[in-house]
Amino acid sequence: MQFGVFTVGDVTQDPTTGRTVSEAERIKAMVAIAVKAEEVGLDVFAQGEHHNPPFVPSSPTTMLGFIAAQTSKIILSTSTTLITTNDPVKIAEDYAMLQHLADGRVDLMMGRGNTGPVYPWFGQDIRNGIALAVENYALLRRLWREDVVDWEGKFRTPLQGFTSTPRPLDDVPPFVWHGSIRSPEIAEQAAYYGDGFFHNNIFWPISHTKQMIDLYRRRFEHYGHGAADQAIVGLGGQVFMRKNSQDAVKEFRPYFDNAPVYGHGPSLEDFTRETPLTVGSPQQVIERTLSFREHFGDYQRQLFLMDHAGLPLKTVLEQLDILGSEVVPVLRKEFEAKRPAQVPEAPTHASLKAAAEQARELETVSPEVVGLEGTR
Amino acid sequence: MKERIIAVVTAGLTVPSSTRLLADQLAAAVRDALDGRGTPYKVEIIELRDHAHDLTNNLLTGFPTESLRKVLDTVVAADALIAVTPTFSASYNGLFKMFFDVVDDKALAGKPVLLAATGGTERHSLVLDYALRPLFAYLQANPIPTGVYAASTDWGAGATKLHARIERAANELVNTMSNDQTASVDPYTTPTPFEDLLNG
Ligand SMILES: Cc1cc2nc3c(=O)[nH]c(=O)nc-3n(C[C@H](O)[C@H](O)[C@H](O)COP(=O)(O)O)c2cc1C
Repeated sequence: MQFGVFTVGDVTQDPTTGRTVSEAERIKAMVAIAVKAEEVGLDVFAQGEHHNPPFVPSSPTTMLGFIAAQTSKIILSTSTTLITTNDPVKIAEDYAMLQHLADGRVDLMMGRGNTGPVYPWFGQDIRNGIALAVENYALLRRLWREDVVDWEGKFRTPLQGFTSTPRPLDDVPPFVWHGSIRSPEIAEQAAYYGDGFFHNNIFWPISHTKQMIDLYRRRFEHYGHGAADQAIVGLGGQVFMRKNSQDAVKEFRPYFDNAPVYGHGPSLEDFTRETPLTVGSPQQVIERTLSFREHFGDYQRQLFLMDHAGLPLKTVLEQLDILGSEVVPVLRKEFEAKRPAQVPEAPTHASLKAAAEQARELETVSPEVVGLEGTR
Repeated sequence: MKERIIAVVTAGLTVPSSTRLLADQLAAAVRDALDGRGTPYKVEIIELRDHAHDLTNNLLTGFPTESLRKVLDTVVAADALIAVTPTFSASYNGLFKMFFDVVDDKALAGKPVLLAATGGTERHSLVLDYALRPLFAYLQANPIPTGVYAASTDWGAGATKLHARIERAANELVNTMSNDQTASVDPYTTPTPFEDLLNG
């Protein structure tokens, strides 16, 4: 199982000090968080893509390329890549380039974005959200898998004899997750291709998340990629920890009360009951996270949101220390012990490369050739 | 025969509330109309006041609490809806609108709805047709022709006339419901097959 962090990249005032960091500080803080994530033994760093203030990450591969140069093990991912408003050709190129620079430590999570005006800013219409996600992704897959592509669709100018460069590292396209909150069509899309499905459940009650994941698992099996329990599932989470849970609650409450999205709404207590948000001791975080498995089955990737709502970098880095030293090692052991043998790990560049090589061998080595081998 | 569910959504703010009183009388009239037909049914009364905080939170967070979700599910799954609001500033009140803002915009498509309102003055009775009806037209619901408006005076000398309107509306609702056989499809159990999505 993979553990990691995902960041939205919001620039939010720290409600306890009134201080708002500059964009420069926030961008460098995100890099520091990624580097720290690797240092404390996490597997994944994922960042959002946004094109409006108060968010900074409009250029994910610039950021991830920079992080790739300062890390050596951690997988670099997105949360999410806007498959609706980005040109799929540019996604194919940018992430193949990143794959080469990062020696394959790259995967992506496709999403449709939640900011209406982004569509017109990029010449699209939000009412085509699903149709864009379907068509653009179908093209993206071909660009990574076929050296020369002829293509015509509804939303993008046609392509004739087009080759996306660089070709994916080792001819293995990055693994793709599809992130969704509400749309059954996206669960269906992930299932159809046998891709991963990430439910960003951080603002959602268990009942809804379960409905989406169950749908994806059922359809994954329907499309012949394996049994339902072998589908590749990722989940979000949001935690704030201190040794004593009262200290965690006291310290986090002002951030919660003023946070974008849920601030000035439900109480911290209501929200922790209704959503995965856990504010308390490392032990409480461990128990809560293990309970996801009871609800949604064995899953492959757990990402935590750690750095939003104006939390200072120093605090976030402390949180990562706790996560890496006290929480994730226990979770790894517990999840691993409970995982049945047939449930796979999330695909990585190495595993996909090995699978591709194996498939090629099976294709080229016919029984005759095998028989002849002994005589040579 | 399948049990029919009649959901009653009432947005009165005072306790006791004349809006609730009207809702109860409408529900009773619908019961009378159904009793005559031998259809098994259940009436679910939803006081929006009890969910006011959850509604605000839903608008802010984008998701309903467990208890609000049950209410939303009840309304969406109902065979018919009775929607009653007090008139505030010549329209439905904010609580009423918040609820229908939170209901998925396609979830009430085709649903038979009885529209009703209370008000301080009978001069505002067109609130039914100028405020409620457009809202339910947008939601593609199926409001019955007769709406029921009760001003303060209707609870005294006007009560007989009010009662006649209540009865007429209740009968229309029950008739519309019996003709209505549309079964809704749950996209989480029966998703659109991907090939269909691919082919646009
Ligand atoms: C803020 C507010 C605005 C109102 N505006 C109107 C109005 O425009 N027209 C009207 O007839 N009554 C108006 N009323 C009176 C209410 O519609 C009336 O008291 C209603 O029947 C109260 O319902 P309840 O007893 O269920 O709370 C208003 C009341 C309030 C509190």
